[in-house]
Amino acid sequence: MKFKCIINGCLSHTRAQAEELNGFISRFLDSEASDGTTIIFYSQKDERKALPGLVPTQRAELVRIDRYHPESILDALARIEYSDDADLYLFPSGFAGSEIAVRWAFRQKGSSLVQVKHIDCTRDRVIAKKTAYVDHVLATFRLDRRPFCLSPARGCVDRLPIRARDNLVVTEHDFTGLNKGIRAHDFHWIPVEHAKHFENPRFLIVGGRGLQNKENVQFLKNMADAVGAEFGISRAVALNAWGPMHRLIGVSGTIAKPEICIAAGVSGAAAFYAGIEKSKFIIAINTDPLARIIKSSDVVVIDDYKTVMAELLKFFTFDGANEA
Amino acid sequence: MRILVCFKAAPDVEMLIDEDWAVDKKLKIDTSFVKNTLNTYDESALEIALNLRDASEALGTNVELSTLTVDGGGATAILKTLYALRFTKAVRIEPQEDLRFRPAATAAIICQYVLHHSPQDAVLLGRQSDIGENAKTSLLVAEMLGWQCISQATHIELADENHLMVTHQVDDGHIRQRIRTPCVFSVGDAPCTSLRVPTLRDRMQYGKKAVDVLSVEDFLLPVETETLTGLEILRHARAGVIIEGKNPAEKARVLYEEHLKPMLSQK
Repeated sequence: MKFKCIINGCLSHTRAQAEELNGFISRFLDSEASDGTTIIFYSQKDERKALPGLVPTQRAELVRIDRYHPESILDALARIEYSDDADLYLFPSGFAGSEIAVRWAFRQKGSSLVQVKHIDCTRDRVIAKKTAYVDHVLATFRLDRRPFCLSPARGCVDRLPIRARDNLVVTEHDFTGLNKGIRAHDFHWIPVEHAKHFENPRFLIVGGRGLQNKENVQFLKNMADAVGAEFGISRAVALNAWGPMHRLIGVSGTIAKPEICIAAGVSGAAAFYAGIEKSKFIIAINTDPLARIIKSSDVVVIDDYKTVMAELLKFFTFDGANEA
Repeated sequence: MRILVCFKAAPDVEMLIDEDWAVDKKLKIDTSFVKNTLNTYDESALEIALNLRDASEALGTNVELSTLTVDGGGATAILKTLYALRFTKAVRIEPQEDLRFRPAATAAIICQYVLHHSPQDAVLLGRQSDIGENAKTSLLVAEMLGWQCISQATHIELADENHLMVTHQVDDGHIRQRIRTPCVFSVGDAPCTSLRVPTLRDRMQYGKKAVDVLSVEDFLLPVETETLTGLEILRHARAGVIIEGKNPAEKARVLYEEHLKPMLSQK
């Protein structure tokens, strides 16, 4: 099977994309029977040097474009991929990867599936699994038309570091100036703050709709800071603007893998739970004994999260003072 | 500016209890007893469109809103609400078959509606529905129409009669740019965009208009390139051990001493 990995090096998390796809290839593709090429798009000349170290395959095509725009990538891909010989295209999880997977498949008259959790493939057919019904169900699909364009679900595989290759074959393309006609003006880039170690914290505290307002979210954030935990929020909290979107935990945010997770005021909707289900130990604090999170946690405190957290802080403070 | 907002009313599956989750031979799950709702993506798309109309009134330009859903009738109450919120036109396309996992078919219907029934300058859709979770329909609409697509839109403002200022989320930030119509917007996680509630007066005055119903037979549906072959219920059960105590302080002590402290002290 001929496969191609498409990496968007115009964004800041190029290594994470490469390692994610490397993990996906390692888990699902037969390396003996597969022949892979990685296509990396980038825009800044000074980024070029590091790119060969981010290639999970034997061959690489490094493609310079003006800036990240889906049309720039799709148009450049159309120029590179004229030979129509790839069976499978792998795109990273995330917004750009899933968008381009779907649109590239449409243009190539192939099949696409995004948020994929598992694949089983031959040259002519891919069987892939993804969630449906707000993450309550795992749906299996047969993809019939090649090229098969897939983007994994966030966190479905562990990232696998890229090993350096001495015999890497690199081809270069320069498509700067290709999309001068794109109708975008007054373009402003607004970077977002990313918390360090947010995906793999040792200790994570997450607040849900039960927090009810911005002040309570800040209270829980302060608690998390005081006990040395990372802090995350559910989608309901983010959409009410009680907390920042970059702290979102769940299928459309971060899939966290902490050792300990405290879920406070969280109902436990499946789309949220997907963001904490890889926790080693989950503690729910909730006043509702019938909330879905109760059955999905290791231990549960049925009580008001504010009072319980304030009491917990006393123990942390006492032990901290004694250790000091 | 003519703006079409497409949405999908879906059963609120969070209301189902464990015993309700069962897959039948036709790969369906009975959700007929659960109320249909809008998911947050669709709700945001509708509210963003209403905000654009509000802004147009202040700017003295004209924004005409219409809405479309492909639905067997479960969305009727929502369509009436949208009429009460003074959407000019509400259209329901009656499906004859199961379209849960057929995003290309849904996209083809929307595309042909725009091309042959009601020309538009912008089409807004939520990024994915709650049942299929395909996350493909809006992208395919843009591809089929040959229009520019802005995905993960979180905020849209009216710039002038032919341009919109859009803020959209990308993987490590946001991009804000001025876009010339026509364009498809796939609405993502947009804070503070819960759908407004119409006044009783507007419900009485505008909410009783008949919904236009078209048959899916009026549209050509493509052959899907992905076929659903199985559904498996996911269960997430853990021990769920309840920590007992006379008061929150005692529960916190047990939680700390028996669980948190031993785990956190492990190097």
